[in-house]
Amino acid sequence: MEWLIFGVLAFWLLVSVLGAVLVKSPVHSILFFLSSVLSMAGIFLSLGAELLAGLQLIIYAVAIVVFYVLVITTIPWEKVKRFEGFYRKELFLGAPVVLAVFLLMGYMVLKGKLASPVGMAGENVRELGRTLFTSYLFPFEVASVILLVAMIGAILLGRKEE
Amino acid sequence: MNEFVLSLIVTLVKIGVLLGVALGLGAYLTWFERKLAGHIQARLGPTVVGPFGLLQPLADGLKLMTKESIIPKGADVPVYYLAIMMAVAPAILLFSVIPFGPEFTVFGYKVKPIISDVNIALLVVFAMGSLAVYGTIFSGWASNSKYAFIGSLRKAAVIIAYEVVLGFSVLGVVLLAGTMSTVGIVEAQIERGVWFIFYQPVAFILFLFCMLAESGRVPFDIQEAEAELVTGYNVEYGGMRFGALPLAEWYLNTMALSAIAVVLFFGGWSGPNILGALSPYFWFLAKMFGLVFFVLWLHWTLPRFQAKDITEIAWKIMLPLALVNVLVTAVVVYTFGGAG
Repeated sequence: MEWLIFGVLAFWLLVSVLGAVLVKSPVHSILFFLSSVLSMAGIFLSLGAELLAGLQLIIYAVAIVVFYVLVITTIPWEKVKRFEGFYRKELFLGAPVVLAVFLLMGYMVLKGKLASPVGMAGENVRELGRTLFTSYLFPFEVASVILLVAMIGAILLGRKEE
Repeated sequence: MNEFVLSLIVTLVKIGVLLGVALGLGAYLTWFERKLAGHIQARLGPTVVGPFGLLQPLADGLKLMTKESIIPKGADVPVYYLAIMMAVAPAILLFSVIPFGPEFTVFGYKVKPIISDVNIALLVVFAMGSLAVYGTIFSGWASNSKYAFIGSLRKAAVIIAYEVVLGFSVLGVVLLAGTMSTVGIVEAQIERGVWFIFYQPVAFILFLFCMLAESGRVPFDIQEAEAELVTGYNVEYGGMRFGALPLAEWYLNTMALSAIAVVLFFGGWSGPNILGALSPYFWFLAKMFGLVFFVLWLHWTLPRFQAKDITEIAWKIMLPLALVNVLVTAVVVYTFGGAG
């Protein structure tokens, strides 16, 4: 039965990703993007990575996309000058790259060893916490310092001049 | 295969029961709220339709369904309809991680009265609580109206601020229980014989504030300030499409978040055995509706904050308090040993 659930979720993901790229209205595009993030969380959940699914929902689907949504919805799009037509040059430049990457990834999936599970983790949250605070303590702390610097920078930028 | 089909049927039955009960109770909460508001303001509330006005929600439903539906000019029709879904779906999904009672056995098959007992249940609660913001933003945007859009932006600012505080306030309970599963948290409280509100009073007060803010209740109902915004983001909706938005935000969200508060701070289904097998459900629902009653009571008693005060309270007072609470709890649990 699992292939059916995975198939539905994967189809949903593909449709929403294509929609995000092809749709004209920016608001519809961000809605398709949101839908793709949700379907990704569904795929994580169906693969047993529950913590990853939860974080995907909280961090990507809410914390990050909501700021895009706020900016995109406040812009009066009917007044914005837009390019109506077909990006011909970009298509010719981009298509070979896409094809090459697709072939490479296809080869890797068929021939190589990508992610093979090394034993099931019993409880996601506990295991991840243990790994983060033992094996990866230093990168974890460095990341938090970088975030702190970014936060202080944001406060400085947003401060009112006295 | 047989096992799979059985579990599928059990889950579908659970979903059906929960949907029926939650939506029915949501509709009847409108009657209860109007009655309560009436008595708080020395009026009678609905009395005409049926005894004590008990059939009023049905009359309201009929009226909403038979109303003419108007879509405003320049509205984005697909998003206009999608926004209702995006408001209602997270509110209903919140119920999927609420445990209403202990495990029991029917014909040799173990049934848990919770739809999905995942070990990240609390993360699902935060995620669904904040996904509801999209319903508000897009309903305001799609109706192509300034009042509606101002209301939805206010709501977005409130939800972003209070979501952070909500996450940190609950961390204290997670540290004490040593798990994020709702069933696990209730069991941890029953095991110790004490409700977590006695260990985490600050966290409970912060959670209560966030609950009021997320479900758009007074004193945080700035997005639908009637006097200035004529109810804000849902002003351009009519008929049952209008009815769905307050149903999700005011009633389903309030009930679900009250149930989560009961799970986190009031020991879930624990209580003296007075009704036999039904007593856990009785205690759970009694505690939950006690909280819902408290929220409604506040709604009809307090005035409303200013928009800037609401976000200032969240970022400048409540977030530091929540962080201190987490720090103190972590130190105490580390020194005296929790369920880790």
